[in-house]
Amino acid sequence: MRKILLLVLTIAPLLAYSQGFQVNLEGQKQIGMGHTGTGIVQDGASVFFNPGAVAMLSENYIQGGISPLLFKSVFNPAGTSIQNHTSNKVATPFQAYAVWGPKSSFWKLGIGVYTPFGGLTDWGNTWQGKYVLESLNLKAIYIQPTLSVKLADWMSIGGGFVYNHGSVDLTRAIPLANSNGDVGQARLKGSGKGYGWNAGVYFKTEAGITIGITHRSQVNTTIPAGDAIFTVPASLQSSFPQPNTFRSTIPLPATNSIGFGFYPGSKWILALDVNLVNWDSYKTLSFDYKTNTAVLQDTHSARNYQQAYSLRGGAQYKANDKLALRFGGGYASTAVLDGYVTPEAPDANRVYGTLGLGYTVAKHLDIDISFEYEHLMQRTQTNFESQLSGTFKTDVYIPGISLAYHW
Amino acid sequence: MKTLKLHIYIIAGLFLLGACKPEIHTPKPSAGSVDFSRYIALGNSLTAGYADGGLYLAGQQVSYPSIIGKQMQSVGGGTFSQPLFNTAQANGSGYLSLTGFNADGTPITTPVTTNLAIRGVLPVPGFGNVTLYTKYTGDINNYGVPGIKLMHITYAPYGNLNGYFERLLPGNAPTNSTTYLDFVMSKPFTFFSNWLGNNDALGYATSGGAGDVLTDKSTFAALYNVLINTLTAKGQKGVVATVPDVTSIPYFNTITVAAILAGVQKANPGVKALYINALVSGSTYAPRAATTNDLVILTFPTSKIGQPVATPVGNLPYGLTPYTPIDNQYVLDEKEVALTEDYVTSYNTTIKSVAASKGLAVFDAYTFLQNIKQNGLVVNGVSVNSNYISGGLFSLDGVHLTPRGYAIVANEFIKAINDKYNSSIPQVNISDYNGVKFP
Repeated sequence: MRKILLLVLTIAPLLAYSQGFQVNLEGQKQIGMGHTGTGIVQDGASVFFNPGAVAMLSENYIQGGISPLLFKSVFNPAGTSIQNHTSNKVATPFQAYAVWGPKSSFWKLGIGVYTPFGGLTDWGNTWQGKYVLESLNLKAIYIQPTLSVKLADWMSIGGGFVYNHGSVDLTRAIPLANSNGDVGQARLKGSGKGYGWNAGVYFKTEAGITIGITHRSQVNTTIPAGDAIFTVPASLQSSFPQPNTFRSTIPLPATNSIGFGFYPGSKWILALDVNLVNWDSYKTLSFDYKTNTAVLQDTHSARNYQQAYSLRGGAQYKANDKLALRFGGGYASTAVLDGYVTPEAPDANRVYGTLGLGYTVAKHLDIDISFEYEHLMQRTQTNFESQLSGTFKTDVYIPGISLAYHW
Repeated sequence: MKTLKLHIYIIAGLFLLGACKPEIHTPKPSAGSVDFSRYIALGNSLTAGYADGGLYLAGQQVSYPSIIGKQMQSVGGGTFSQPLFNTAQANGSGYLSLTGFNADGTPITTPVTTNLAIRGVLPVPGFGNVTLYTKYTGDINNYGVPGIKLMHITYAPYGNLNGYFERLLPGNAPTNSTTYLDFVMSKPFTFFSNWLGNNDALGYATSGGAGDVLTDKSTFAALYNVLINTLTAKGQKGVVATVPDVTSIPYFNTITVAAILAGVQKANPGVKALYINALVSGSTYAPRAATTNDLVILTFPTSKIGQPVATPVGNLPYGLTPYTPIDNQYVLDEKEVALTEDYVTSYNTTIKSVAASKGLAVFDAYTFLQNIKQNGLVVNGVSVNSNYISGGLFSLDGVHLTPRGYAIVANEFIKAINDKYNSSIPQVNISDYNGVKFP
């Protein structure tokens, strides 16, 4: 009769990403130029930036690069002077492309492997928001075979099929303490897949300006049976049955881009990109547990993201035959409305600047390095769902390096 | 390759840059218009850090005044000393711990009886037995005394009747004659918090209206004026809290009439009602069928229900007939609830008006806890509510708070102080504090 209704304990939803988790590190030459690449042709990274432009490449390419990323966020809980920092962990977005076609043929085949979405955030298990999130490691690896065809000297088109391997590993504390005072923990870990496509068109105009238009489709990625691991006091274990699995589907959003290339002299390339990301497809984050109990219910957490855009500009200066210098920058609007900001992706409007350098170290072999600094505007928020209240501020530092062999 | 070397230096430099941590500029904590150099806390069990039916070291360490005192240190506050039990006697008075659940989900609590700080039991003629605890002789900022009512603060023999107060006094019962108010005033202070008054209503309520009386409203008002006038005599500032609505605590909302009746009806579908001995008016009680407005206390032994009771008309099942109603002490019936609420409202009117006349900060605990009872509260992703055990706010006795509850209350006090005095005492991280501990 002394019935205890055990906790209304929302294992509330956690997995999320945002502009913040759209990684945008798909080619070192392009990063150096402020992530532009839709309206110009540089190398095999066109497989990502504009499959329509691949057939315009004058050579074949095999290239690969990596951009170790330091995501540094701080949270100041409202009404306190506490500063909670994310720990120093390095995420490793990478990119690899191969493009091949017979010499002076009208077509080229390509394949790209890249990481357009992801995030690595570790707030630790003692911070103010530990019951919202301790750590998140989210990865999406896209594999994209591509065909591009030159319809005329001034126009080419192309498209690719996208296979995504996605994985998530997140932990959060559960507010149930054992007799030693140690609190519980939930860990959701799993991987899944999704499919999409990628298409683009590329023009050279009579004015000498090049134009690219692309669409990268939404990729619904489903994790059908991730492991849901709960560590709770022994007397409550039956309310958190083990083993257990979860199912979750994430709509990685579509992106529409238009880009322009300008060539004011033989040494200069100027590029401009505008992207519109359909984050508004991301309405809810749901976790469907295979085994539910009165305490462990499925969760449906509103995200209500909005469309977001980014403006990017960049330039390359060819100092001599071997050395290219690059720089660029841009602005990206946040996808996350007020009240929905979470520690997974403490997103905000952001500005960034990039530098790059390309060097031909040997015949056919380019080495490219880039560096990016991104600053997310300070944002003071109270989350509707968790009531976590305070100010986030984030800086991101991304050095990168790649090798490209071309012939 | 010379350039490549240069690149490596550049990359190394960039990694160094990557080691920079972002910082958020926060205003320097300020005391505003107040001197926090010696803060003292007046109050009862809630102030002492009482929890799980007892006063023990772990509870004292997370008392809300100790949390406030610690936070005040960044704005000029001094050391905050509490009459802590020593580690060898850390379990103090003893307390309840949760040791498991029955098959039907009901909790099993077990008293902790080791490492107590009990030094003896003193029978006081005409009063009863007073448990005496190991004396505390150090400095005191937290004057919380479990059980004390506002009514007791000027009562000279009180130091002989309450073992928690006796423990703080230099003399031994029954020779004490220092009043609580004099004791508190014996050392100067610059700031105070006061949360007295709860027991003036709670004692009556938790005894089901049978074992205690409500403090007279005008007595309450007179004493509250004496108290605050004394505390502010040298221009000291402070914060006071209102008396919570007694019906907002799990002690009265866990074992419900409907739940007991449903349990009985499982075995005996014919049973239509529970009977209680309910207040009619004044001090007249009469049996009647219980309704959902009658509050059964948490410690009611439900196993008594249905047991045969001898009556003039033969043996009848306990609680199920008008001849064998549930004893008064187990139920705060509807009229007793109304009476208690009327008194609490009056006490709170007094508290707020006295505070306003002295320009003191007020933490409206009544409104705050009633709001949690109705709507719950989400803090840092943790949902808390007024449910027994699962709510995370109230400890195993159903009356006092958990560490999480005390931390939440401490932040509410801090907000009230900051609002009133233009100070910026930082709040505490509630995520560091737990609810009930589970085995």
